[in-house]
Amino acid sequence: MELLELIRNGEFRHFGGGRIESACGPLAAVDPSKLKMTVASGVSASIVILHTRADETVVDIELEPGASLVVDDLYLAETFAEVRIRQAADSRCRLTTVELQSANADYDIDLDGAGASFEAGGVFVGSDSDHCVVDLTTRHNVPDCTSSSMVKGVVSGKATGEFRGHVYVAPDAQRTDARQQSRNIELGDNAHVITKPQLEIYADDVKCSHGATVGQIDDDAVLYMRQRGLSEAEARRLQIEGFVSDVVMRCSVDESFREALNGCVKTKLERL
Amino acid sequence: MDKKEADIIGEIESQEYKYGFTSDIETETIPRGLSEDVVRLISRKKGEPDWLLEMRLKAYRHWLTMEMPTWAHLDIPEIDFQNIIYYASPRKRPQVDSLDDIDPELKRTFDKLGIPLEEQMALSGVAVDAVMDSVSIKTTFKDVLAEKGIIFCSMSEAVRDYPDLVRKYLGSVVSYADNFYAALNTAVFSDGSFCYIPKGVRCPMELSTYFRINAAGTGQFERTLIVADEGAYVSYLEGCTAPRRDENQLHAAVVEIVVLRDAEVKYSTVQNWYPGDKDGKGGIYNFVTKRGVCHENARLSWTQVETGSAITWKYPSCVLLGDNSVGEFYSVAMTNNFQQADTGTKMIHIGSNTRSRIVSKGISAGRSQNSYRGMVKVARGAANVRNYSQCDSLLIGDRCGAHTFPVIDSRNASAVVEHEATTSKISEEQLFYCNQRGLSTEDAVGLIVNGYAREVLNKLPMEFAVEAQKLLALNLEGTVG
Amino acid sequence: MLSVKNLHARVADKEILKGIDLEVKAGEVHAIMGPNGSGKSTLASVLAGNEKYTVTEGEVLFEGRNLLELPVEERARMGLFLGFQYPVEIPGVTMANFMKMAVGEIRKYRGEEPLTAAEFLRMMREKCAIVELDTRMTSRAVNEGFSGGEKKKNEIFQMAMLEPKLAILDETDSGLDIDALRIVATGVTKLRTPENATVVITHYQRLLDYIVPDYVHVLYKGRIIYSGDKTLALKLEKEGYDWLINDYKE
Repeated sequence: MELLELIRNGEFRHFGGGRIESACGPLAAVDPSKLKMTVASGVSASIVILHTRADETVVDIELEPGASLVVDDLYLAETFAEVRIRQAADSRCRLTTVELQSANADYDIDLDGAGASFEAGGVFVGSDSDHCVVDLTTRHNVPDCTSSSMVKGVVSGKATGEFRGHVYVAPDAQRTDARQQSRNIELGDNAHVITKPQLEIYADDVKCSHGATVGQIDDDAVLYMRQRGLSEAEARRLQIEGFVSDVVMRCSVDESFREALNGCVKTKLERL
Repeated sequence: MDKKEADIIGEIESQEYKYGFTSDIETETIPRGLSEDVVRLISRKKGEPDWLLEMRLKAYRHWLTMEMPTWAHLDIPEIDFQNIIYYASPRKRPQVDSLDDIDPELKRTFDKLGIPLEEQMALSGVAVDAVMDSVSIKTTFKDVLAEKGIIFCSMSEAVRDYPDLVRKYLGSVVSYADNFYAALNTAVFSDGSFCYIPKGVRCPMELSTYFRINAAGTGQFERTLIVADEGAYVSYLEGCTAPRRDENQLHAAVVEIVVLRDAEVKYSTVQNWYPGDKDGKGGIYNFVTKRGVCHENARLSWTQVETGSAITWKYPSCVLLGDNSVGEFYSVAMTNNFQQADTGTKMIHIGSNTRSRIVSKGISAGRSQNSYRGMVKVARGAANVRNYSQCDSLLIGDRCGAHTFPVIDSRNASAVVEHEATTSKISEEQLFYCNQRGLSTEDAVGLIVNGYAREVLNKLPMEFAVEAQKLLALNLEGTVG
Repeated sequence: MLSVKNLHARVADKEILKGIDLEVKAGEVHAIMGPNGSGKSTLASVLAGNEKYTVTEGEVLFEGRNLLELPVEERARMGLFLGFQYPVEIPGVTMANFMKMAVGEIRKYRGEEPLTAAEFLRMMREKCAIVELDTRMTSRAVNEGFSGGEKKKNEIFQMAMLEPKLAILDETDSGLDIDALRIVATGVTKLRTPENATVVITHYQRLLDYIVPDYVHVLYKGRIIYSGDKTLALKLEKEGYDWLINDYKE
């Protein structure tokens, strides 16, 4: 598997858990069953978590004040993951999740310090009888935090794709800015999309919004591309690629790794 | 929170409920509590046929096996269902066509509520069925409607006079096993309205039911059934109020609507049950099941303005069974003080080319909790379904909550479903701008809230829209410091 | 009409106005100019009664009454109008409904009979014409989706509707193209009478080509550092503020 190769032979450093106390190159963890990570105050880090076998996984991440972390959480196998991220004041976390298989990724984000920001991008692609779940709970426990998420799903065959979003704004968590988006494309007559973008708000001076759509391929665009000589299948695939690519392309600090991942996504899309 | 904001919130919380009077009307009640005997007693008092008694008993037995639903975002105190009076009726039963025969105290009650039972009815062109406690008091305009073949009467009369129609449709949309409160309602419902519009008939006037709980210790369980036959049209209004009491009273109604091919029904509600006092004492528990089925090319539109009740649990829904049918839900839900509302809709798309639209505007003030809960479901065989939902929340003060719980569940690749939600507060800038043009803060808040709800208020029939606007403003009434 | 003496005001912990003196009499037009951040908009907000600002010193008399102890809406009803630099949007509230309430309140305050619906509609039509606003605008929500020019015209339309004694126009010319500027400014001029007065806050001389001021004041660092007649504006346009403010630089 190319991604595994890149992690083993590339510039990634294997990470088995612990406290990151100074700047370091990109970290990687493959099929961890338990991973505990702390990023020290003011330190920036990045980590790729790759799931290649059916398993259960618990990830616990803590960001100290002013820490920043980029997490790419990639599912190539049917994994049940619980990922908990706790963020202190002024910390930043940027999460990308990609599911190319049945998988259940359950994210629990606690924004515990003022000025903390969390940003998530997600893609799940389900074919055949896959069941992909992205569950994202973001808790604004204190004032002045921001969060945003954009999770995109494509399902075909008899696959089911589920997004469960939950933004919680605690009493007195004023000036919260929370945005949540769920976008889905269904292909074929047996695919199933369920999306539940929820808001639970107990403070008044907040900017909270969410949106969810379930739709299909833009037929006009397909027609346009066919008129330029593409086959219908190519045109459709191109559109879906375009739909998910902005999320996929934000993954990883490493160019060749990103390209390889994009390759995996394309391979999966061909199965739709 | 600065001083000004505190003032505004204070004003809003000092609202008064002006329908809180009680009327001194002689009432016949049965003893508290629920049992098969009580169910039989209610049925006997109403002289019902056996099939209906059987339905009630089935529902009662099923209810015994059920538990109160707890999934809503509501904090519902334990309800002692044995401490409720399940049947109460004004002793003087006006089986009459002349208004002179109505108990004068009763008439005064309805006058106070602003419900025109008299000649002005003719001018306003609304036919009214007034339900006090458990019993339908008076249905106006029956004769005018009868000329067109329209049946508009109390449920009791319908059971007696149109048993075939009632038997065919009662429970066909909301089965007795549907949910806890629907089962309870089916077992003990005492009255309500029945309406049938024949094929191709456009009902020439708005039909309206006013519900009033008056007697203490009673629950109100009314049942409404509306059938619009092929190509028919009707606009139906429902209003409700209750006296101010320290105890909580239970209201568990069921509304069923059958919209046959090419027919259209508009159902509008202004719900203003007593919400409890500013400390959260008393008020109505409003647990209501409302649902309609749309056949081919039919259209059902729910519009609701919910300002009352201590707790509201209510999801007027559309089953879009026939191809090309349309469902709509327009809602304003305002909660204040300690009120709780969990309300929304379900749009179940089964037919192809079915469309639905949801516009929900929540307004929370005080320490209230206000939730939108909605589901849009697209069945496997339903091609080309369209849905658009817009759910907005307005928060007034920092001690209330506004929540949104939508679900989209799509099993058809040709569906296009969109949901959007936003949250806002009344900004300092808006208030300053209005003040600078000479408006008091109180008026400015009323104006801004009404503007926020306008899209929904516009869907109400004219007279109701005015009443609803006043209600929203009333709930924000107070004095400026 | 308006008498401002030694006015100091702050927002949060920052003192912005540091002793303003200003006398405005009926029939006069005053222009207040000055570089960015000199306190021009703050002065307008404080006079209108925006509670974001705290007055720490000084007094303001309007028509003989102590303006500073009155709430915003009472100042408005007395006839003090603020044309906002950034008019706020109020979704769902139509201009017609908004103005009906505002005109109603102000007439009530003056002890006048409420207008009938017909009178009110006629009045709206007339006043729309002053700023060449399409009357259809009145059925739109307050400022919602209005272009920059429409918002400013709308402010002057409201001024025409409310017939204030004193209008303070905060940067009414900002963001306007030359045609809109002409329309807005001509509108203001049409509303001039010997009984009312106008204070124009602006960056640019070009507005003053239409609204000719009797006095021009330069506001800098929270004080009026220089006053003159309309020629001062022309000089400022040509030479900038440097020659004036050099003395005040810290």
